[in-house]
Amino acid sequence: MSKPSSNQPRLREAWVLFFILGIVMLNYPLLQIFNKPVTVFGIPLLVLYFMLGWPLSIGVIYLFSQTLTNDDSGPGKENEPGDEE
Amino acid sequence: MIPVWLLSLASLCYFGILFAVAYHADRKHAAGQSLISNPHVYSLSLAVYATSWTFYGSVGRAATSGLDFLPIYLGPTLIAFSWWFLLRKIVRVSKEQNIVSIADFISSRYGKSAFLGAVVTVFAVLGIMPYIALQLKAVAYTFDHLSNPLAGPGRALHQLPNFGFRFDTALVVAIILAVFGVLFGARTLDASERHEGLVAAIALESLVKIVAFVAVGIFVTYVLFDGFGDIFTDFLARFPEKRNLLMFGGGENGYAPWFSLTFISMMAVMFLPRQFHIMVIENSSEEHISSAMWRFPAYMFIMNLFVIPIALAGLIMFSGNTAGADYFVLSLPMQYGQRWLALLVFIGGFSASAGMVMVSSVALATMVLNHLVMPLIIRLRIEAADISGLLINIKRLAIVAVILLGYLYYQLIGESYALVNIGLISFMAAAQFAPALIGGLFWRRANRRGALTGLILGFVVWFYTLLVPSFVRSGWLDPSILDHGLFGLSFLRPLELFGLSGFDIWTHALFWTMFFNIGSFLSLSLLTRTTRNEDEQAAKFVDVFQPHRPPAQRERISKAPSIMEFVDLMAKFIGEKQAHTAISQYLGHREIDERGSLSEYELPNLKRFTERTLAGSVGAAPARIIIENYLATRGSRMEDVFDIFGSVTLSRTSSREQLGVLYESARLVASGANLQSILDDILSLLRQQFKFDLCVIRILDEDRMALVVRSQVGMSSQHLGESERELTMETYIGSTFLTNSTTVVNDTDFMDKPRSAQIIHREGIKAFAHTPIVIEGQPIGVLSAFSRTSKGMLTEEFIALFENLAGLIGVAWRNSQQTAGLIAAREQERELQIAKTIQISLLPNSTPDLPGIELAGICVPARQVGGDYYDFLPRSTDRVDLVIGDVSGHNVGAALIMAETRTFIHARSADIGNIHSIMQELNEFFYEDLTRAELFITMFYCSFRQTDRRLTYSSAGHNRPLLWRHNRSACERLDAEGMILGIKPRVVFEEKSTQLEAGDVLLLYTDGVTEAAHPDTGQFFGEERLCTLLEDIQHLQAQVIVDEILRQVRIFTGVHNFQDDVSLVVMKVGEVLGARSA
Repeated sequence: MSKPSSNQPRLREAWVLFFILGIVMLNYPLLQIFNKPVTVFGIPLLVLYFMLGWPLSIGVIYLFSQTLTNDDSGPGKENEPGDEE
Repeated sequence: MIPVWLLSLASLCYFGILFAVAYHADRKHAAGQSLISNPHVYSLSLAVYATSWTFYGSVGRAATSGLDFLPIYLGPTLIAFSWWFLLRKIVRVSKEQNIVSIADFISSRYGKSAFLGAVVTVFAVLGIMPYIALQLKAVAYTFDHLSNPLAGPGRALHQLPNFGFRFDTALVVAIILAVFGVLFGARTLDASERHEGLVAAIALESLVKIVAFVAVGIFVTYVLFDGFGDIFTDFLARFPEKRNLLMFGGGENGYAPWFSLTFISMMAVMFLPRQFHIMVIENSSEEHISSAMWRFPAYMFIMNLFVIPIALAGLIMFSGNTAGADYFVLSLPMQYGQRWLALLVFIGGFSASAGMVMVSSVALATMVLNHLVMPLIIRLRIEAADISGLLINIKRLAIVAVILLGYLYYQLIGESYALVNIGLISFMAAAQFAPALIGGLFWRRANRRGALTGLILGFVVWFYTLLVPSFVRSGWLDPSILDHGLFGLSFLRPLELFGLSGFDIWTHALFWTMFFNIGSFLSLSLLTRTTRNEDEQAAKFVDVFQPHRPPAQRERISKAPSIMEFVDLMAKFIGEKQAHTAISQYLGHREIDERGSLSEYELPNLKRFTERTLAGSVGAAPARIIIENYLATRGSRMEDVFDIFGSVTLSRTSSREQLGVLYESARLVASGANLQSILDDILSLLRQQFKFDLCVIRILDEDRMALVVRSQVGMSSQHLGESERELTMETYIGSTFLTNSTTVVNDTDFMDKPRSAQIIHREGIKAFAHTPIVIEGQPIGVLSAFSRTSKGMLTEEFIALFENLAGLIGVAWRNSQQTAGLIAAREQERELQIAKTIQISLLPNSTPDLPGIELAGICVPARQVGGDYYDFLPRSTDRVDLVIGDVSGHNVGAALIMAETRTFIHARSADIGNIHSIMQELNEFFYEDLTRAELFITMFYCSFRQTDRRLTYSSAGHNRPLLWRHNRSACERLDAEGMILGIKPRVVFEEKSTQLEAGDVLLLYTDGVTEAAHPDTGQFFGEERLCTLLEDIQHLQAQVIVDEILRQVRIFTGVHNFQDDVSLVVMKVGEVLGARSA
C-alpha cells in the first residue's frame, strides 16, 4: 500500500511530534504526576503507568510503521542473498 | 540442586541445537535461499540486546534500587521510533559503501581514515571486553548456583566425578563460544560480512530467552501468587518501607539518572558493536526495519513485564535480603522444587550470554582485522601470492582472543562489581560513537579531526569517570584518587569532575563525556577544513537518499592497469573464486571495446569497484591504501582531467546552455547562408570555444578519391592543414572515413599509426579527434580537431558534441547539394516547358480536308517532349503525302532533331518529288548531326494519288504500317527496304507502290503502340493485336479509329501514360465522288 509522497513531510512532522511526546511522557515533569503512593487494583500507580503506557507507545509505533512507504528508497533497497547469483 | 551432569548435558544439547540451526541456515544461504530474510527473524535477532544482564541483572537491580532498571528498555523503544529515518539511512549507506563494521563506518565517513578506524577499534575492544566478562560470569555463576547452591558464590570450579579434574565453567563456555564464533562468523572472508547461520542462531536464542523468562514470570505471578495485584499488595504489606522502590525519589532513584540511563541506552542499542553488526551489517532488507520498529519494543516490553513481580517475589521469599537478587530468577523455581523450570531458565540465561559473546566477538574480530592488523600488514609490505588464507586465520584468532580477553577480565576484576554496572560502563562507551556517527550522517562539514578529537576525549573522560572508580572499588587503585583527585587536584576528582557535584555517577559521566566529545567534534569541524576525500565521502553518506547524484569527478588513470591486473590484486586478498565472481558481475554492466579492455573512462570506476570489494574484506581504509600503493608502484596516477566544458563561455547573443556551440552551429546551418561560410563559421566556433589549435573539414572528392580540405581554421601548417588525405587505413583520418567511426587520441604518446604519428609529433599535437561526416549513413568527409595544449581533454561528453557537429556539417553539405540540384532541375523544367510548346506547334493542328479520304492523326508524347513526328503534306489537289517518324529518345535533343526533320521535309520534299530521293537526301543531310548526337530516326514516307488511288511508299527501318484491304478483309503490311536514318551516310531506299480501293484503311504507327507492355505478363501489344483491332474497327471513322486504338492500348497497359511516344495516322479511303460510279 502506498501513499503519495506528498504525505512525507506530514509524516515527518507527525514523527517529530510523537518522538518529543515520548520523551516528555517518559521524564521528569510528567512522571511526577504518577509518582504517588496510590495503588490501582493493587498495582502502584507508577508501575501501572508504565505497564499501560509502554504498550500504548508501541501501538503508536505500529500504526506509524503501517503508513510508511518506500518512496525515497532507491536501488539499494533489497539486499537479499539474491545478489549471490 | 541440579546435578552437574544434567546441567552440562542440557547445555551441550542446547549448543548442539544452535549449531544445527546455524549450519542449516548457512547451507540454505549457500544454496541461494535465505531462512533469515524476513522481518520476524530480523526483529528477534535484534533482541541480542537482552543479555544475561537483562535476564538476571534487571531483577537484581529492581530488587535493590527499584524502577531504574526500566530506562534501559524504554530508551530503545523511544529510539526505535526514529529507525525509519536514522537506521535506514545507516543501512543504506552501509550497503552502498560495503561497510562491515562500526569502525568501518566511521573511518569510511571521514575520508577512509585508517587511524580513525584503529582508534574506534581499540576503544570498542576496551569498552566491550568487560561486557563479555559479564556474560561469562553470569553463565559461571548460574551454573554454579544450580549445581551447588550451598557453596555460595565463588569460582565455579567443579569436579566431574568421572573425570576427576577440575574445570572452570567460564573457561569451558568461553572456549565453546569461541568455536561457535569461528565456525559461523569466520568461515570465509565474505566480502559482505553476512553470516546467516549466526543470525539464525541468535534469533533462536532470543526466542528461547523470552519463552524462559515469561515462563518463570507466569510461574511466579500466577502460581506462587494470585496475579499482579496480589504480589504488590503482599509486598507493600510486608515491606512498607520499601515502597520507594516503586517510585522516584532522590539519589539513585532520581530523575536525573533516569534520563541519563534512557539516553545512554538509546545510543547503546544502536552503537554497541554487536548491535550495529546485527542491525546494520546483517540486515538483508530495509523493509524489515519498519516492522522491527515495533516488534523489538514489543519484545522488550514482554521481557520486562515480569521483572518487578519476580523481584518483589524474591524479596518476599528471602525476607528482603538482596544479596542474591541477581539470581532470583533461578532461586525462586529452585526454592519451590521446579527443577525443570529452573533448567529452562538457565538455558534462557545461557542463550542471553552466548548470543552476546558470539556476535560481539565476531564484530570485534572484524574490526581488529580490518583496522589494526591490515594496516600493519600493509606497512610491513608483507608480500604473498594469496593473503586471503592468512587473513581468515587472523580473523579466527581474533575471535578467540577477544573472548579470552573477556575471560581474563572476568578472572581479574569481575568479582567485585555488580553485573549491571559493568554493563552500563560498556553502554556509555558505545554512546561515545554516537556524535561522530550521527553527526557524520547529517552534517557535511563534520570532518575527521573533529571526529577523532571527540572520540579520544570522550573515551578519556569515560575512562576517568567510570573505569577509574570501578578500579578503585575493586581495590586496584588507591581510594585517595576518588577523594582528592588526580595529582591531588580536587577539581579532577573522577566522580565530581570540575566541581560538578550532586549527581549520580551515570549522569555525571554522561554529561562530561558528551560535553567533551560533542564539544570538540563541533568546534574542530567548524574550525578546520575538510579534505577532498572527506567531502566526497560526506556526500555519499549525507546525500544517500537524494534521487540523483552529481557525476563523479572526471579523472583518468595514466598507465592504467588492465582488468586482469585488477582481478589479480583482488584475488590476492579475497581469493580467486570471489575475485572472479565479483569482476564478472561488474563487467556485466560495462561496455568493453573490441580489444577486450575497458574504455578509458571506465577505468576509474573499475578502480573504485575494486576498492569497494576489497573494503568488504579488509576495511575501507586499508583497501584504499592497498589500491593506492598498487597504482603507485606501477607508475599509474589518477589525474584530474582538464574539464573541457569548464571553459565554454556563454555567447553574448543569449544562448544559455553549456552546449551553446551546438545551438549556434545548428542556427548557422539553418540560416541558409552559402556553404563555405557555414563551414568556416562552425569551425571558428569549435576552435574558439574549446581552445583547439586547429580544426579541419575534409570532404571526399569522388574524382580523385581523396579527402580534400574544404575548410580549416587555426594554425596554418602546410602538412596538416592543407593537404589532402588519401583513403587508407594507415592514417587516422583515412581509417575514420573507411570504418565510418570516430577516432579519438587523447594522449599522443600512445599512437599506433606511425605515419600519422610522425606528422602529429612534429607539429606538437597533444590530442586530437576525427569523426566522419555522414549523410544518410554514408561518410562523405571527416571533421578533425587538434590540440597542442592538453591531453585527455576529449571526454565522452565532448565527443558526443563533436559527432553532433559533424552531423550538422553533413546536413549543411547536403542542403547545399540539394539546393543546387533543385535549382538545376527547375531550370531544366522551364526549358522543357518551352520545348513542349514549340513541339506541339510543329505537329499538324488539323487534318486536311481532302475529297475521297478521311485522315486522322495523333501524337502522344511519353514525357514532356517526345521524339515522334507525323505530318500531312497535301501537295496538290491530287496528291497528299503522309509521313511518320520516330527519333530515338524522347527528350529535348530528340525533339529538336524532329523539328529539324520537319523543316527539311517541308522545305525540300516538294522539290525533290519522288519519295526514295527524299529519304536519301534526308539521310545524307542528317547523317552527321544524328551521328554526333548518337541518335537515329525511323521514318515511313508515303504518297497517295487521288486519281488512281495509288499509294507509293518508302521506309527507313520503321514499323510496317498496316493496310486493311476491304475486299479481302485482311491486314497487309507495307514493307519497303531502307536503313534507319543516321547509320550510314549513303543509303538506297526502296520505293514501292500499291493500289488502294474504297474501304481500305491505312494505319501508320510508331513502336510506342506495338511495344506497349502488359503490366502483369510483360507481353507486348504487338502487330497481331493491332491487326485484329483494326479489323474490328475499320468501319468506323478515321478519328474514331485513332481514339479507339489509343483507348485499347491504354486498357492493355492499364495506365494512362505511355512508356514510349505513341503516334498514329489513319487514312481511310472512301468512295470517290462521282468516279467509277458509272
